[in-house]
Amino acid sequence: MPNYLCLQRSVPNEGGAEASASDMQAMYARFNEWREKFKDNLTDLGGRLGEGKLVTDPGSGDGPFVEVKELVGGYMIVSAGSLDEAAQIASGCPGLVRPGSGVEVVEIRTP
Amino acid sequence: MSAPELVEDFFRHEYGRLVATLVRRVGVQHLAAVEDAVQGALLTALQSWPLRGRPKQPSAWLYTVASNALVGQLRQGRRRQELLDQRLPVASAVQAPPDITVLGSEMQDDLLRLLFVCCHESLPEQTQVVLALKALCGFSVKEIAQRLLVRQASVYKRLERARARLRDHRELDDLGPAQYEQRMPAVHRIIYAVFTEGYLSNHASQAIRSELCREALRLGRLLVQHPQGQIPETFALLALMHLHAARLGAREDGAGGLVLLQDQDRSRWDAHEIAEGLQWLQRSAEGDRFCRYHAEAGIAAEHCLAPSFEQTGWQRIVQCYELLERISPSALHTLNRAVAVAEWKGPQAGLQVLAGLEPPTWLQGSYMWSAVLADLHRRCGHEAKAARYRELALDAAPSPAVRALLRRRFAQTLCD
Repeated sequence: MPNYLCLQRSVPNEGGAEASASDMQAMYARFNEWREKFKDNLTDLGGRLGEGKLVTDPGSGDGPFVEVKELVGGYMIVSAGSLDEAAQIASGCPGLVRPGSGVEVVEIRTP
Repeated sequence: MSAPELVEDFFRHEYGRLVATLVRRVGVQHLAAVEDAVQGALLTALQSWPLRGRPKQPSAWLYTVASNALVGQLRQGRRRQELLDQRLPVASAVQAPPDITVLGSEMQDDLLRLLFVCCHESLPEQTQVVLALKALCGFSVKEIAQRLLVRQASVYKRLERARARLRDHRELDDLGPAQYEQRMPAVHRIIYAVFTEGYLSNHASQAIRSELCREALRLGRLLVQHPQGQIPETFALLALMHLHAARLGAREDGAGGLVLLQDQDRSRWDAHEIAEGLQWLQRSAEGDRFCRYHAEAGIAAEHCLAPSFEQTGWQRIVQCYELLERISPSALHTLNRAVAVAEWKGPQAGLQVLAGLEPPTWLQGSYMWSAVLADLHRRCGHEAKAARYRELALDAAPSPAVRALLRRRFAQTLCD
């Protein structure tokens, strides 16, 4: 099965209420359930991404890419039969798709 | 490999414990910074534990993360302050992290200490309750608003004012035995208020209500572990809460409707809670003090011990209400006594208790007042008056569940 790279992106429309301690505990439980359910698909749970830097041919500058580091919050790799299935798995991950956050799913092509 | 479930309310209770411990270390004037650091630590846990596994000692892990964040934030604040005005740097507020192995019992003390800080007499009682629910119980502004049936903005405002006061009056943080003793009645009051909010609310779901009752019991148990909390008033309060909690499940039918005391399945009352309540009641009788919690616990105990509604010790309940009225005069207590008197001596005697009583407007306009009068007048054969009060009661019902209960009650008694 092909692997898919999932990138968490912040999307405009911030302002979701701050999660309460009970919300967080519920989210933690849902995450564990989700991970159990898709354990065969979760190739790499990845992690959060910090600051980044784009290295390009000298002279081409930072380009417009400099914003990327502010938009991508984390990544993971899932294996799935199709892009749609991968997207479905990712969207079930608690906290990934919510007000202020979305996920971009891209196939990792292997030659 | 999936980690075992966290205990119920783990995050929420960790929130309270961490806030309490960090407040003791850096002073209550930094309450807002402490709460931010704790919230941040819980969020970090939420991001880190699923990926890297939960640490062996989650509490200690959270403490370290929150403590580091707080130290960083306070240092930053202090540097900014030093740059702003070239005063001498204040002494470092945060010492080395404590030995994590001793955290257990110390944290209990810290929680209790924060409860007494929340109960400072310069804060209005409603604010004390809000502050305790936020800082000690770990509820969010939204959750507190839902539980107390007030707007979020008003919860927020109360918290802001309380934090500002705690920031400006550092002496509020100085707690010696004298302060503990002085604030004890306020501490009892807010525990009672949290419990009553859970027990009596007509609005919230049963899950939310029993959660508040559990929180009040938790604070009560915390108080009674402390030598200064071991006084008859605390014992009576614990008795009262356990005896009421025993009947919590049986008060509601499966569909969210309320069940009248006389219709409750007494086998569903929680025998364990009753036993614990009675033990506390016994302890509360040691000594020569008698407070409103004693009277209320006495009433609850009579109900819990009665084999049936008819075989309830109404005479003793009436005596308890008389004592309660003497300690804490309220037309609501008189109304309750009238109900007990009616069961003991008949409806006419019940009406006599209320004759000449001028209830305050809030009570006169409430469904409780009209429903009791409807019932007593019907039993006396005053059909016209009874019908009028039935209508008033239905109009005043605060929720569909209460209205349904009244309808059922009225229909039932008309068939008798």
